[in-house]
Amino acid sequence: MSELDRIIHEPARLRILTILAGVEASDFNFLLNTLGLTKGNLSSHMDKLEKAGYVKVEKSFNGRIPHTEFQITEKGRDALENYWKELDRIRNLNPPVENE
Amino acid sequence: MSNRRNNVNSSDPREILYWTRTYARSRTIYFLFQWCLIVLIICVIGLIANLTQQAYINGNKPLFYTSVFFLVVAFLFFVWISISRWTAEIVWQLTIWFYGREGYVLPDDKHQSKTLPRWVIALIGLMLVYHIFGALLISFRYLSLQYLQPFSALALVPVLCILIFYQGLGFWAWIWPVLYGLHAILLICKIPISFPSRWYLLNIMVPVFGYGLIAIIVGHIYSRYALWKLKSISRQGLEEFENLAHDEETDNT
Repeated sequence: MSELDRIIHEPARLRILTILAGVEASDFNFLLNTLGLTKGNLSSHMDKLEKAGYVKVEKSFNGRIPHTEFQITEKGRDALENYWKELDRIRNLNPPVENE
Repeated sequence: MSNRRNNVNSSDPREILYWTRTYARSRTIYFLFQWCLIVLIICVIGLIANLTQQAYINGNKPLFYTSVFFLVVAFLFFVWISISRWTAEIVWQLTIWFYGREGYVLPDDKHQSKTLPRWVIALIGLMLVYHIFGALLISFRYLSLQYLQPFSALALVPVLCILIFYQGLGFWAWIWPVLYGLHAILLICKIPISFPSRWYLLNIMVPVFGYGLIAIIVGHIYSRYALWKLKSISRQGLEEFENLAHDEETDNT
């Protein structure tokens, strides 16, 4: 029995990766506003995802304002796909108990 | 902690994927800026054309030649602005500024083609020729003014549908060809929705740009809803979990 990917199983990181899977690219501001995390928390999650090779970071300048853009990598997309498959498999093993 | 993590992740995360994609594809402010630019230039060209016509009728040659000169300049400016990278860059920067608080997001391009196929570009060119041909038919009274919009819809509706399909735009974009086609059908059925002959140009301008604007506004409103939905699903239980994780990390250190 394979285990759930610990990097993605963290709720904030799962959400970040899922958001990035739905777009070509997004910036730090978009993730910050959508998820309502603090800058520190988001930075720390992005670091972990980048170290795992799940996201690609591109830093640039818009005039004088720094701009950080994130993109999900193929490895990240595969990891997310596997995570969902595994999650579905576990859910099918333990169907939710219906209220009587 | 693990149970809490499972609870926070219990809702289907694929809903987040759906609403992210929907939101990104419904951000229509880029199209709104383009729309404003095109309408502004067409109004300027229309005004100069009207001045040229008046000068010709009144036999005012200096004014006629001056307005013809400005008409040509305005037309060339319109062509330049339509193909210039500079315009695209300005519109893009305005869009980024408008969405500044929400952040930058680039729609998934898996379902859209970055460069349109050549035959689609050729089709756009053919559509323009078709409209010039229609204008000539009307000038020589081979086509009634009443059928100007239905004549245009015959070419514009399929071309718009092809463009929307290839660009992978959201549902909102389909509103434009659908309303334009319906308008043509209503006119053919002799429903009185046309402007009087004095304002005949409005019979084509209002449907082309009016329905385009309706589609853009619907897209924008839908993007607000998609963002609200995305935020509420993504934030579900997340703050509480993050605080708890932070407390645990602090305790461990």
